[in-house]
Amino acid sequence: MHLEPTMKQAVIRRSVRKFAEKRLAPAAVEMDRTGDFRWDIAEEMARLQYFGLEIPARYGGAGLDSVSAAIVIEEISRANAAVGLCVSVHNSVSAYPVYLFGSEEQRQRFLTPLAQGKKIGTFCLTEPNAGSDVSALETSAIREGEEYILNGNKIFVTNGGISGINLIFAKTKPAEKGKGFSVFIVESEREGLEKGPIEDLMGMRGNPVCPVSLRDCRVPSENLLGVEGDGLKIALSTLCGGRLGIAAQALGIAQASLDASIKYAKERHQFGKAISEFGAIQDFLAEVGTRIEAGRLLIYRACDLKEKGNNYTKESAMAKVYASEVAVDATRAGVQIHGGYGYTKAYPIERFYRDAKVCEIYEGTSEVQRMVIARSLLHG
Amino acid sequence: MEIVVCIKQVPDVPTVRMDRERMTIIREGVESVINPLDYVAMEAALELRQKVGGQVRVITMGPPQSEVALREALAVGADRAILLTDPAFAGADTLATSHVLARAIERLDPFPDMVLCGMQTTDSDTGHIGPQIAEELGLPQVCGVNEIHVEGKDLVVKRLSDGFLDTIRVALPTLLTVTKGLCPVRDLPLGALEAAFSTKDVLRWSIDDLDLRKDEVGFEGSATRVRRLRIPLPRGNGEVVEGSPETLVNHLLRRLEALSILDEEDGKE
Repeated sequence: MHLEPTMKQAVIRRSVRKFAEKRLAPAAVEMDRTGDFRWDIAEEMARLQYFGLEIPARYGGAGLDSVSAAIVIEEISRANAAVGLCVSVHNSVSAYPVYLFGSEEQRQRFLTPLAQGKKIGTFCLTEPNAGSDVSALETSAIREGEEYILNGNKIFVTNGGISGINLIFAKTKPAEKGKGFSVFIVESEREGLEKGPIEDLMGMRGNPVCPVSLRDCRVPSENLLGVEGDGLKIALSTLCGGRLGIAAQALGIAQASLDASIKYAKERHQFGKAISEFGAIQDFLAEVGTRIEAGRLLIYRACDLKEKGNNYTKESAMAKVYASEVAVDATRAGVQIHGGYGYTKAYPIERFYRDAKVCEIYEGTSEVQRMVIARSLLHG
Repeated sequence: MEIVVCIKQVPDVPTVRMDRERMTIIREGVESVINPLDYVAMEAALELRQKVGGQVRVITMGPPQSEVALREALAVGADRAILLTDPAFAGADTLATSHVLARAIERLDPFPDMVLCGMQTTDSDTGHIGPQIAEELGLPQVCGVNEIHVEGKDLVVKRLSDGFLDTIRVALPTLLTVTKGLCPVRDLPLGALEAAFSTKDVLRWSIDDLDLRKDEVGFEGSATRVRRLRIPLPRGNGEVVEGSPETLVNHLLRRLEALSILDEEDGKE
């Protein structure tokens, strides 16, 4: 068992951290305040292949292993969680399923621009009445000759405001529960696809999350990902990888919080000494530091299983639920360590706190992750 | 143009701490990076390759783990990477190090038109290696270059020295040491890093491959011995005095007298 990063992984971490500290961290405050996405930075990231992490070089990707991909997402999120979210969702639940389930022709047409970062991807599953309960999907796709006609409403679409390619989950056989879903690759410019206003979010404000509606949107049958009825299979497999992306993102936020807290605790003096010398502060730091390390190992272990082609459903759920809760607890402790200043925008810790919370909610709530874990424990 | 770049792995400066008992750098837990000016040298070499064609080979002497620096050099865009590694090379001073590097460069086929080094390293800061390699190979050298132009069979290079900008024409083959401002250091695409570690090779040359004797390399082949290292005392805070010219002059004289820098009689003069 090798628990150390490889030489390559260490260099990748250093390289991404350098870029993230130089370009992403300084933009984070403004992105949080205005909600404006920074296309100029996205273009630089595209050139560095941040949008094709695990996609092979022949489609324009970087061809990284899963642990390296998690390291990239962690380091980006440590500097700028909203950009980390963009990269995580684009890579793990948009580009990756097109690679995994797409035909060669679909890979050429859709995967290459995604991996090159020329188009940003989304994953449109959630609806007003279907979140954790995927079987309650209402969006329909009715076949008519060589086309499907899509109707329905998708909400909370991460990257929605900037996307060029969208994976839309829709019922092709409304009567058949579970088997009746399919996934369509729908270009943003296609007639009948409308994007709603950007959500006014608590955190991750630099990511343009919005609703996407489909009104008699005609999609050619060659845009069907996999075969008709593959929807559930694609969703479950994709969400396994997605969980690792979110887990890595949560880890990055937790690490950012710990780093900021250590710095502050050493600088801030009360009762004639740095507050880092007080046991109460040390308890916070020790607890958070330990849990970050545990979360990191859970994530890398699940990534390693994925890399080797093993089932990693349980492990990815464990990594996701654990890392996202570490992120929330670490940032809450971080605000506490910063005291009154932590409650102001003079320090980044309050943003970390707001950014962290959603990690417990999206791509499967902590409650759903525990259902997945328990099911696996009870039924193997 | 055939270019060789000599690089060195150094401790990442922000993470360096000193062991104040033993007066050594604590290397445990400290990441090693390519010396920043060597990175500039690599970028300059690649820029020249793009303009005039040819090949860029990168070379380093160090322990086996220095391979990681060469892999990074391959990701930056070097065509070939050579690691000079042997237990006998350990403990080398700059003379023994440049001797091994020079011997390796001599053996390269084709012999380079240009050897590039960073002007100095962030760890030992001697600036010896480049000039010593040039001396050993009998090459003309220009140190501290911040601009390189190819003009026919020559190079025209610029460097700052004592506040003047020197423009120097130098014949090939030559050795240049480069300084910041020569060209920017680019961020690395992830795919290039992946390929450098998974599909490319690093050549390894030992003392035998270079036909060197043990007494001319490493600690044994070193001409210098470090007798003592100490951390320089921090500079005291400056003193700011305000007042009329007369007050200031009198104050200054009193201070100089107190420090016995100025003879008391002269002061009263």
